[in-house]
Order: sequence, then structure tokens, then C-alpha cells
Amino acid sequence: MATEEISETKASSSLLATLREKFALRAMWEQLTWTWKPETKREAGDAIVRNFVLHWFPAKVSLESLSWGYSFWLGTISAVLFLILTITGGILMFLYVPSVERAYLSVKDLEFSTSYGWFLRGLHRISAHLMVAVVFLHMVRVFLTGAFKNGRKAVGQNRPLNWIVGVALLLITLLLSFTGYLLPWDQLAYWAITVGTNIASSAPVFGDPTRFILLGGTTIEQATLIRFYVLHCFLLPLTTFALVSYHMWRVRKDGGLACTEKRYEEAKKQEQPAIASKTYSLLGITGGSAVDVQNVMIDDENEKVPSSPYLTVRLAVVTLATTIVSIILTLLVRAPLEEAANPAVTPNPAKAPWYFLWLQELVTITTFTVGGITINGALIGGIILPGVLVAAAVLWPYFDKSPVSSIGKWLPTERKWQNRVFLIIVAAILILTFIGTYMRGPFWEIYMPWQEWEQAPRRF
Amino acid sequence: MFSKDAIKLYVMGISLLALTAFVFFRENTTDWRDYQAEFRDLVTEKFGSERAEQVPSGIQQIWVKDLDRVDRCVTCHQAIEWKGLETAPNPYRTHPKEILEKHPLTAYGCTSCHGGQGFSTTLPDAHGNVEHWEEPVLGQEVSEAYLIKNSKALMEMNCNSCHRYDRETKGMDYINTAKNLVEQKDCRACHTINGRGGIIGPDLTYEGDKPTEQFDYGRLTGRHAVFAWQVAHFQNPKMVSPDSIMPNFGLSSQDAQALALLVMSWKKEPIPASYISGVQLRDVPTPEEIAKEKEMLEGDGAFFVQNKCFVCHSVSSLGVNSAAKIGPDLSDAVVDVQNRFGRTLDDFLMDPTGTMSVVLATQIPLTTEQRQQAIALLKVAYQRKLEQQIKNTSPSPTPAGK
Repeated sequence: MATEEISETKASSSLLATLREKFALRAMWEQLTWTWKPETKREAGDAIVRNFVLHWFPAKVSLESLSWGYSFWLGTISAVLFLILTITGGILMFLYVPSVERAYLSVKDLEFSTSYGWFLRGLHRISAHLMVAVVFLHMVRVFLTGAFKNGRKAVGQNRPLNWIVGVALLLITLLLSFTGYLLPWDQLAYWAITVGTNIASSAPVFGDPTRFILLGGTTIEQATLIRFYVLHCFLLPLTTFALVSYHMWRVRKDGGLACTEKRYEEAKKQEQPAIASKTYSLLGITGGSAVDVQNVMIDDENEKVPSSPYLTVRLAVVTLATTIVSIILTLLVRAPLEEAANPAVTPNPAKAPWYFLWLQELVTITTFTVGGITINGALIGGIILPGVLVAAAVLWPYFDKSPVSSIGKWLPTERKWQNRVFLIIVAAILILTFIGTYMRGPFWEIYMPWQEWEQAPRRF
Repeated sequence: MFSKDAIKLYVMGISLLALTAFVFFRENTTDWRDYQAEFRDLVTEKFGSERAEQVPSGIQQIWVKDLDRVDRCVTCHQAIEWKGLETAPNPYRTHPKEILEKHPLTAYGCTSCHGGQGFSTTLPDAHGNVEHWEEPVLGQEVSEAYLIKNSKALMEMNCNSCHRYDRETKGMDYINTAKNLVEQKDCRACHTINGRGGIIGPDLTYEGDKPTEQFDYGRLTGRHAVFAWQVAHFQNPKMVSPDSIMPNFGLSSQDAQALALLVMSWKKEPIPASYISGVQLRDVPTPEEIAKEKEMLEGDGAFFVQNKCFVCHSVSSLGVNSAAKIGPDLSDAVVDVQNRFGRTLDDFLMDPTGTMSVVLATQIPLTTEQRQQAIALLKVAYQRKLEQQIKNTSPSPTPAGK
């Protein structure tokens, strides 16, 4: 019995072997999966540079760039969220109808009858909210580590420019979310956009024209919906894609993450000063030494690891983790869909999207009455203050005179005051957002989280 | 570092796989699937497995384009049009037949009468007693909350969307009572309703569209709801709005409920005219046209009017005038037929050719007696015509001429 079995397996293995030989299975498989196979380490390195996907990364990366605790991978997470949004959004485009008559119904269909419609919409919504939060946190991280500062004098390094690109990306992320907010065409959407665009209209001179251009008229109607739709599905994502690509490319051009600067600083200390003697540059026509001589040369081969697999695996982990968290949140939080948009009925309270609620709070705070005259806070709270904040953010790198040694470190003592001011602003924004989201009830009165709101009236 | 990351990667990968499986599971274990399975079991038990196989599966819906409604109620309520499940428990009960004969599902759907959220495929959302949905199913649950004995009474509000111009509608007792009260108490003395009435009180034509937020519930005990407000207001107007000058009519609670349902039914809904009871979608003849036809019906040519010959033919000598005059005047048919067809009138009318054969075969089926009657009358008409001709051509007795 046992011998029979053995002989059978022998027969089948020899059959496989003959098949292999006859049809050159392995060669066929290799031909299908590899166009070329590296023979040496050098060739393997070249392979990464030549690969369309892998050439995004340098052949080798430093260990501190890969650390979880320095960057928290927030930029990568933002990019992954953008990818999730692009995929889910692309599918949603087949299912959503951007017309005033059908938009709400098509979202109801998504919720109740389209296969996995609830999941697609929920995931798209959650990822969008997460993206706003993560992009903001990414900015906070970059500020607190002084990563917008130029370090060693490397050719073409311009971290302040990349910081400005980042600020632009944050604003575009907000706009992307804001334009998406209108699309379900329910009460929540309609009145959030009403509040948002009304704040925009309080800007001097440009206010009303801005609102008119945004809405495609004076009221939120079909013209607004199609404008927001095209912005949301085409123009803004395209701009985001272009800017993110530039943002990433700049990170490479700026010499990698700012945390690698420390190593150059340390190396510089140990380095013997360059000998200002004979050089062979330019046939001795000019004085001084060649560019390379002044550059700090560090032998970082020991502290660097190949991008593949070290970076690619972490990237995969981050991508999967982000997707998992988004999906779990999608399953836990049901995407709201209120009554169909009704211009005649203002919900009480009418709130802007949550990431603009700190602005709405600022508008409330800066609206006050002096001697019977009410000063509308929309200009101060809604335009001037946020305008100043954005301008300050853009210009900050050019006024930051802290030493190079503070670059790429969390909360360095050299930048103590800067970081304190920044953190106070961040805390203020977060507190105002919290108050606006959780503590403003009917008639914009303050309600403690444990206080119940007045019962919303119903028809029956 | 790498091996640690690799472990993380495996953990994440497996987690994502598990989550994907969970999403798949959730998508495919919805309550409506259970209801459909249970219904199939019920059908198997009562009618055999062959019938059960015919039960459709998947989300079912009635799309009423005219009313802009999509009702997925039939996903669970599958027995609506089945025979023999009249006493089955809901959602497997047959719908009462009489009302569906006049209001077919394909033309009305479910929610236009019952209320509820037709889009929905989950029970709480579909029955509509949820946040952000203002039209719950007007059935037992809401009736009990308002202590209304007849659980179908509230639904009359929806019926009245189409029946608003009826004075009385069969089966709508509450609304009929309310409409009577509107006349009895003369609400129009102060209020305009459907374009008629006074201006002391607010126009009530579209009272049902007034948003829930526009009522003051401050003096209302219990539910903050428009219906509750309306009932309380009808029973004692000053109690809910102290500034009101509307008199207290001392209405019973049932009458107040009926009136509340009536005013809440007055909405500006986009309903095609063909749905609205009492609206005529046809050309009505003018009073002059009616008078003329009546006159012709009383004259000697009544036969030709009654049998619609006059649609094409005049019989001028008998006082019958056709509006269209498609065919020749029949006053001289006796000779005209002879000229046209080479046959006598008697012969032709008994066995006509050409257009008349088609008309008499399809549109105006005349019996042999009727044909003979027509022939006799046409002979009289010719006689009459000759007489009239003689009268017209004979010299008039003018004294001056003599």
C-alpha cells in the first residue's frame, strides 16, 4: 500500500519534471514575469531607478527618514487618503447625478439600493474628513520640527517653497471637501454652503463678486451644483495631483526629509577643514576650491538601507493601515443624509462644515453691538483673521531666523517661542472648532455636551 | 526592522481581508433578505414550492414617474397583489383589493397614500419615524401616539392630495367631516381657501407646506409636532397662540383631528392633473354649441343628429347643419346619389360603397329599419328642399308690380 503511494508520487513528480523540461515552464514563467533579471547588486540598484513605480524613491534611504516617530508618515497618509478618495470618487461619479432634481435621489439610491453604495459613500466621506484632519496635522508636524527650513547649502534646496506648496495643498484640500459637501443636495449641504459662501461675501470689494462666481448667480441653484461638481471631480483633484507630485519631487530635491540635516551638521563638526591648497578645478583659472570640496562628505552607506524593501514595505503598511482605519470608521459612523435641500427652511442651527466652524465661531465672537450699532464679524472673523493666518503661514519661513541646528528635531529649544505661538494658534483653532461642532445648539446658543438640545419639531 | 515590518504588513493584510469580508457580509445579510426568505417559506407552506420559486428576489421597486416616486416597500411587502394571504401577518398580507382597483400600484405606488420613505430598504428608515424624514407611514404607530382609534384615518390626509376638490369622497370619513365643518363653520369668512374666502385670517390654501419650524410649540404639552399643534389650535386657538382672534368653536377632539388632517393635506404638490379628482381633462363644448345641438335635436332632422350623420353631412332643408361639412348636403341625396353612383338612394344606403361603406360598417352601425327610416327622411328632405326652392323662385306678391 505504502509502496504504491510512493511510486505514484514518484511518477507524478517525474511527470512534472518532464513537463518542465519539455515546455521550459520556468523559463516561460520568468519570461512572463521578468523582462530582465539583475545579476549584481549594481544592476539591482539600477533596476529600481529604471522601474516606473520604484524610481519615485532614491535607491537608498536613511533610517531616521523611515522612523515612525519623526514624521508619523502624515504626508504619506494624506496621499493614501487622496488615492482612496480618487478611487471611491471615480466609482461614485457613475452613480451620482449632478442635477438639482436628481442629486438627492441618487444619493438616497446609493444609501439604500446600489450594491455597496452605502460603503462607497461612507468611505469617501470619512476619507475626506480624515484627509482634512491629516493634512492639517502634517502641517503642524512640519512646523514643529522646523522642516520648512533650508539646512546645508545644497544646490537647489528650497524648503520654504515646498512649505508654501504645502499651505496651498491644505487650502485646496479644504476646497475639495467644501465643494463635495454640497453634492448630496440635502439640508446639511445646502445650508453649510450658504453659511460658507456668505462668509466669503463679506470680504471688501471682492466679496460679492467672489460669491457670485462661486455660486454662478446669487442663489444656490443648479448653476452652483454643476460648478461645485466640476471643481470637485475634475479641476481640484487635477490641481491636487499636480501639486502633490511637485511637493514630492521637491522633497527629493531638497535633500530628503529635514531630519537628515542633523547628520550633516554632526559630520561637519568632525570634518577637518578643507585644505585650501591646489585644486584641479577649471585649470586653476579661478581661486578657491571646487564645490565638492566645501560640501560635507559623509559616508552614510552604513546608515542607509535600500528603499526596496525597507521603504516600500513601510509604505505598504501605512497604505493598508490608512485603508483599514478608514473602513472601520465607515462601518462605525453612518454618513448623514438630511431632508432634501429646501431654501425656504433654515435649519436651527445652520452650521458650516466642521473644519470651517472655528471661522464661524470667530464670526460670532467678532460680532458685537456698540451703542445700538452691530458690527458684523464676518469681515474680521471670516476674512481678515484667516487671511492673516494664511499670509503668516506663507511668510513664516522667511522670518524664522533660528539656527540650522534646530532643523528636523521635535520641539527644539532654539525654536521654543515660535512653536509656542504656533501651538497656541493651533489650540485656539481646535477649541473653537470643538465649540462650534459640539457646543452650539439652536439659535447658536452654547449647550454643554451633556445638555440636551431642544426637541426638533416634526410633522407627526 | 524589516522582519518586524513584514509582520506588520501581514497583520494589516489579513485585517484588511477580514474587513473586506465583513463589508461583504454586511451587504449580503440585510433584513429584507430575511423577510424574502421567510415569505418564500410561507408560500411554500401554503401554495407549494412551485409557487415559491416564482417569488422574485432582490430589491423590488415600483417607479411612478408621474409622481416622482420610487417605492421599494414591495421588497419586503411582497404579497400586496397575491390572492389568499388576506389574513397573513404583515409584511406578508394581501392589500385590500377594492382600493387597488381604482388606485393601481403602477400608477400610485405605496407612499403616495401610506407615507413613509419609499427609497429605503431598512425597516426604521422605510417606515419613516426617523430623523430627517417628515412623512412617516401613517398607520398604527402614529395613530396610537395620538390616541386615534381608526388607524387608517391619518392616511386620509395623503388621499386628500388628489381628492382635495371633492366635496365628499367615499371612505374618507375624517376628511369628509372636516370638509363639512369648513362649510358649516364658514371658515372662508376669515380665511381664503383654494382662492375663495376672506382675508382676516391667513390664506390656508397651502397650509400643509408650512415648515415645522414656523410653529410656536412653546405652549404645547407633549409632542412638538405640527399635527399636535394644529389639533390643539383647533380645540382652543388662544391656548397655543394667545394673540389669535380665531373663535373657539368647541370642537370635539375627533373633529379637531379631522380638521388638522384637512389643513395639513393642503400642499402645493406637483401632481399631474390626471391624478386630481374632479379635474376635467377634455374640451367642453361652449354653451352656444350645446344650444345649437339641442335645437337640431328637436327639429325634423333629429335622426341625423342622434346618429351623428351630421358630423359630416348637413341636411339643410331639415334644419341640420354640419360644422365640418366633409360630405355633401343630404337635402338632395335622392338625386345626388343617383348622379354620383348611378344607383338609387334606397339601393345605395342598403349596400353602400366607398367611404359610406366604411363609416356605416364601423362608426355608425344602422339597422335595416334605421336605414329605411333614413331613406324615408331623406325623401322628405328632398321634397322639403323642392318646396323651399319653389317658394324662393316664385315671384313675390308685390303690389307695386300689379
